[in-house]
Amino acid sequence: MRPLIRVSLSAQRRALIGWGIGLAAIALTYAAIYPSIKQSAADLDKYMQNLPDALRSIIGTNYTSPAGYLRAELFALLGPVLLLVYGIGAGGKAIAGEEEARSLDLLLTTPMPRGRVVVDKAITLAITLLALAVLVFVVVIVLGPPFGLDVAIANVAAMCAMFFLLGLAFTWFALAVGCATGRRAWASAVAGGVAVVMYVLNAIAPTISGLSWAQALSPFRWYLEPDPLVTGIHAENVLVLAAIASVCLVVGVWTFRRRDLAA
Amino acid sequence: MELMVDDVIVAEHLTKSYGSDRGVIDLSFSVRAGEVFGFLGPNGAGKSTTIRTMLDLIRPTDGRIEVFGVEPRTHPTQVHARVGYVPGEFGLYERLHVREYLEAFASFRNGGGRDRIEPLAEVLRLDLDRPIHELSHGNKQKAGLVQAFMHDPDLLVLDEPTQGLDPLVQQTFYGLVDEVRGRGGTVFLSSHILPEVERTCDRVGIIRDGRLLSVDDIGDLKAKALRTIVFHFAAPVDVSSFQNLPSVVAAAGHGDTVTLTVQGELDEIVKAAAHHTVVNVETKEPSLEEIFLRAYQDGGVS
Repeated sequence: MRPLIRVSLSAQRRALIGWGIGLAAIALTYAAIYPSIKQSAADLDKYMQNLPDALRSIIGTNYTSPAGYLRAELFALLGPVLLLVYGIGAGGKAIAGEEEARSLDLLLTTPMPRGRVVVDKAITLAITLLALAVLVFVVVIVLGPPFGLDVAIANVAAMCAMFFLLGLAFTWFALAVGCATGRRAWASAVAGGVAVVMYVLNAIAPTISGLSWAQALSPFRWYLEPDPLVTGIHAENVLVLAAIASVCLVVGVWTFRRRDLAA
Repeated sequence: MELMVDDVIVAEHLTKSYGSDRGVIDLSFSVRAGEVFGFLGPNGAGKSTTIRTMLDLIRPTDGRIEVFGVEPRTHPTQVHARVGYVPGEFGLYERLHVREYLEAFASFRNGGGRDRIEPLAEVLRLDLDRPIHELSHGNKQKAGLVQAFMHDPDLLVLDEPTQGLDPLVQQTFYGLVDEVRGRGGTVFLSSHILPEVERTCDRVGIIRDGRLLSVDDIGDLKAKALRTIVFHFAAPVDVSSFQNLPSVVAAAGHGDTVTLTVQGELDEIVKAAAHHTVVNVETKEPSLEEIFLRAYQDGGVS
């Protein structure tokens, strides 16, 4: 493993363990509640039908089924929020955070080119996001079935793969903003703001006639539609999120190589 | 300026402007292989700006700088491989232990310097087994020094390296610089402390407000420097007996006291004073301000 990746991972380990425990605990909690949800399925389904369209387009149509429940409680909102809070924070820290802490001067006067430093940091971020996605996958397939949350493993894997890619896109976006500006606050604010706007766009665009085309602009559409928990993996969705992430990384490297570092 | 093969650093009309009044303007100088070059100036004069262009952390607005015959802008890794750097202000990875941190940096240099971590830490009395976030400023500075020295770089670039070090450790640091000089290495040392530059450097460039005022051998600088000598005599003394001595620039008498501003050798002055009963002698090394004033009078780059 390249030295900078190894060192960055070991500096991340404590944060990663914390976020991992948090995500796993939430997945476990929701799994444990599922049996009681299932008992009142008829009432809940009726209730869900009266929710606003935008909310229903996010939650999905079949709340009390195992796949519908997992989507609504874990993958449609809470999971991505946690993953993006972690990823955007870590992405902003990777370059801009080091620059603000004044440790970047020393790192960049070792014989590693600037571009490689960014790429190694990006790979480190990808590894940590992958670890979190795999953890969620394991928790869902191991602890879900005892509570009646039976979803095909392939579909859970597809969902977690998209979960990882969504996290990667916004994390590398925050990394790129940090590379371009050198400001951690900018990275968090821009990436976080865009994430919120894109989330809302994905929810409301299909409910407004004449605006449904705009849903395709949101990474959340490619993350969640068609529902991976029901329909499995879709190559074009994978490609769209992977392309967004790659463009962010390329822009990050390009801007970072061109500019002066903050004194 | 002609590029000599044995010039390690060459700046030609180097300019870095930030729009404000910071930055450097039209610097031209060269640093020869094997010398310790002092870069003397007050805070905010442009010392760090100059240094950061050498290491491709920032890029010149105009003019050029070369290190080991290449431009850092186009060949950064080639330069970095041969340089050890202590920035004026730096952060370390607070989460790591000192040893982990230094070994990480050795691995960034393909293992370069790993075996020197222990001996350097011992010389500087740096505890390798403490977490970095517990270190005092002085100890962090030591970790920065180990990081810069450990891979035996051909060029050391040190930006105010003794800040925060206690006097004993400063002496150790000067010893390390002498060692580098001894094995033919080159040192570029920025400082705002004249005695430090006098102690360590062969030549010194003086920078102020982003402009290079002069580059001198350290001996010439000392000879040119104005010093103040105050004699306390047992009885009032006629000032005129000092006024005409060649090395006296100005003389003033006040009761038993004679205050002289001197440039150059002291021999005749001491002999003249010896005609009287001397109670006490005070000498004041020139302040940086006085050196700068001198450099201004000389009119820019020499």
